[in-house]
Amino acid sequence: MAKKGKKKVVKRVSSKASIRKKELEGPKEIAERIKKIAMEMVKEIEHGKNPRFKTKLRGRGNVVFDEDLGIITLGDKSATRTFLNIAHARKFLQTTLVMSKTYEYLTHNKTASIREVYYELKHTIGNTKENTFEDQRESDACIVDLEHSIDTIREKLNVHANPKGTLYGDITLVDRQHHNDTFNCLKLGRGGWSIMSRMEPHEIEIKKINAKYVLVIETSAMYERLVEEDFARKNKAILVGTGGQAARGTRRLIHRLHFEHKLPVYVFTDGDPYGWYIYSVIKQGSMALAAHSSLLACPTAKYIGMTLEDVEEYGLQNVTEKMKPTDIKRAKEMLAYEWFKNKPWQNELKKAMQLKIRIEQQALANKSLEFVAKEYLPKKIKNKEFLP
Amino acid sequence: MKKKVKKTIVTGDVLAKEFKEHSVAEFFKKNRQMLGLYGKVRTLTTVVHEYVTNSLDACEEAGILPEIEIKLDELGPEYYQITIKDNGPGLTKDTVGKALGQLLAGTKFHRLMQMRGQQGIGASGCTMLSQMTTGKAIKVISGTGKGKAFACEISIDPKKNEPQIYNMRDLDRKFRGLMIQAKFKGVLYRESAMGPLEYLRRTAIANPHAKIIFRSPKGEKIIFNRTTTYIPKPPKPMKPHPAGVTVDDVITMAHHTKAQKVSSFLKNDFERIGDTAIAQIQKLVSFDLNKDPRKLTWSEAEQIVNAFKKIKFIAPSADGLRPIGEARIRKSLESIVQPEYVYTLTRPPKVYAGGYPFQVEIGIAYGGKAGITTENNQAKEDENQGVKVEIMRFANRAPLLFDAGNCAITKAVHSIDWKRYGIRDLENVPLTIFVNFISVHVPYTGAGKQAIADEDEIMEELRLALMMCARKTARYISAKRAEIEKKMKRDMFYKYIPEVAEALSKITKKDKNKLIKKLEWLVLNKLKLEKPEEKKVKRLKPKQKGE
Repeated sequence: MAKKGKKKVVKRVSSKASIRKKELEGPKEIAERIKKIAMEMVKEIEHGKNPRFKTKLRGRGNVVFDEDLGIITLGDKSATRTFLNIAHARKFLQTTLVMSKTYEYLTHNKTASIREVYYELKHTIGNTKENTFEDQRESDACIVDLEHSIDTIREKLNVHANPKGTLYGDITLVDRQHHNDTFNCLKLGRGGWSIMSRMEPHEIEIKKINAKYVLVIETSAMYERLVEEDFARKNKAILVGTGGQAARGTRRLIHRLHFEHKLPVYVFTDGDPYGWYIYSVIKQGSMALAAHSSLLACPTAKYIGMTLEDVEEYGLQNVTEKMKPTDIKRAKEMLAYEWFKNKPWQNELKKAMQLKIRIEQQALANKSLEFVAKEYLPKKIKNKEFLP
Repeated sequence: MKKKVKKTIVTGDVLAKEFKEHSVAEFFKKNRQMLGLYGKVRTLTTVVHEYVTNSLDACEEAGILPEIEIKLDELGPEYYQITIKDNGPGLTKDTVGKALGQLLAGTKFHRLMQMRGQQGIGASGCTMLSQMTTGKAIKVISGTGKGKAFACEISIDPKKNEPQIYNMRDLDRKFRGLMIQAKFKGVLYRESAMGPLEYLRRTAIANPHAKIIFRSPKGEKIIFNRTTTYIPKPPKPMKPHPAGVTVDDVITMAHHTKAQKVSSFLKNDFERIGDTAIAQIQKLVSFDLNKDPRKLTWSEAEQIVNAFKKIKFIAPSADGLRPIGEARIRKSLESIVQPEYVYTLTRPPKVYAGGYPFQVEIGIAYGGKAGITTENNQAKEDENQGVKVEIMRFANRAPLLFDAGNCAITKAVHSIDWKRYGIRDLENVPLTIFVNFISVHVPYTGAGKQAIADEDEIMEELRLALMMCARKTARYISAKRAEIEKKMKRDMFYKYIPEVAEALSKITKKDKNKLIKKLEWLVLNKLKLEKPEEKKVKRLKPKQKGE
């Protein structure tokens, strides 16, 4: 996750329509795009030209905040890698290997973790002592290059990272890639459903939802508390536990719940810089994955808490904690982020820096265990007491 | 040269006195260090040196192309026998005793010319050493090519410093040359940089007209063939130059001169002294130069030397110097060192310390088998792994194997910024540096006579000559390096090509081999790299046209 940097506002680089199109792309379309790139290279080779691979530049300088769409995205700067360049040759080779491997996954209906991709492709080159990949970072980098080159997410390349996050609530899913298993996430016990890394429509279909909103919860402890209090049933809520920073699959699911089913998304985190940033990544996307915000972000999400106002309203002063110097530094950086430049957030951040306090979700237990489920959340949602 | 004269003669005088009181053997033992006979390995090398030098000098004087065979046998622990045979002029029954059985009897000691055998003990010294360590006489076979050859055994009477000849007998065959067999204890054979083999190797390099055959104690036969049939002319004896003499030299020379007056003594026995100089000297000394030189006193001689210092003389003539020559050094290095590249340089004569002419010859051998193999294999460039610089020092063609650290040649080599010449690290480079220092008087740093003193003019000249050679070598190295880089570049692309071709062919279903060929063509043509081998070129070209 990128953590710092100010974002400039530039002209929009993708339209809502094009995002919708991207959203629905399945393995066939993606495979075709890979093939197209490979064909270009072959053509160049056949015409005695230096084969090229073009990808988007991902440095800070190319990250922009699209105000219209409300997401962090990549600008249009690109980088070209050529084979006949002593500094690029190895990288070029690795890229073609990753292209060929993901093409094979997509056309043979296989999926793999990024670590598996690494092991599948690692081998000694010819009669040399050199390996195609020396460590996983090299293959990971090529996967990212390819994602950016064909403007999609790795999940659509049938490749994924480690999953994280749980789903609980009255929502019926169908696993299209696995016997068409159909299940309701309210009936899986208190553990809920483990969100997968690849949450693409052609893999996991959202069949039916009976809920009024989605509640995203930062800490596992709070998620468990709400399940135990039967919050989902009583409030017709879908609970999504992120367990810290939200994984790609979890973000993709939140995105889909909002865009496919028009559910409002409320984010519930600790009242500190780390919690705020988790919220901002869910809402606007991250700088590291700026190119994928259109498929991962949920610009209409709202922040439910914890806020400093909560501290005052519920008299939680004695259960706040002191901000560490790094927290204060982080808060200061966030003040400058384009997407925090609105009055309520500026006030919140400044206040926190002034009081030098932070407040955890669990602090609400100071009132009582049930307080958060019976009073705090329902009241806030009913009164629409959110931060934008 | 002058110092040389002085030393020898004075030593001779002292010796003569000492003989009366002590035995020669005792003197020998006392002076072993000075004679280069310390250290088990070094002693054996010195013995080999003495015999080989004698043979080379004898052949040179007689105008014969030398062929020298040296055999070492291990008779027991630290006990060796050396057998040396040459094709030189040989010794007669009359001369053999003096040449091999009397210390300091050689005529060479009194001459002023460029000589190989300035250090050491001479062949008689070896006889003495053999006798002292084993109690045995040396065996000799000699012949002049005319009449019958003869054989005998020789030892030295240590009290009288006289040869003792036993078993003198004629042989029933003709033979030209000299063969000596001697036994030594307390010596050791090693194939190190200071051992006899390395000594012979270097001797062969500096004497390309000699064929040297060596049979090691291990039973190996190593032959260093001659690379030229040109026999160097014997060096000319030279008169001392006034700028390079000491008071002692003047006294000694004055006492031996044939001249009747000091003035004519100075004119006849020194170089570059004429009437003008005599007139100048007369003004500077307090006595009459018409005096009998045999009656010259120490203080008068001192006045003369002081006068020499105040007068400007023409630099001494370099006629006495006998360089090996650029072409011959080149051939020799090519044959014996077997490098990829050689550059040689013989500089014009120069003068040091005001009066001693000297000349420097450099040979730089790079790549191939140049350099010394080391244990350390951690070189950065794989081409140079485990090889470091080899500095071959010579004084008048005689290898200097010991005391390298104190030598002007070593110092000059290390004072040069080799990085400027494309040599990043002398410890990791296939480089052999040959330096022959030629002078009628080599300024050795110590009694061991294995290191040349770092006189300013000598250092300057050595550095200049080395840098001139280094510049030439640098050109070769950079061209070679560019070649290697090109090859590495090409190899790297070639290595990746099959992988790229396979990946792309898997996606596009295009023929993999066609892609490989086209990519190879691209690499060679776009990057201007040479093809790895002829055949591939031919196969590729037509296709290229067909496109």
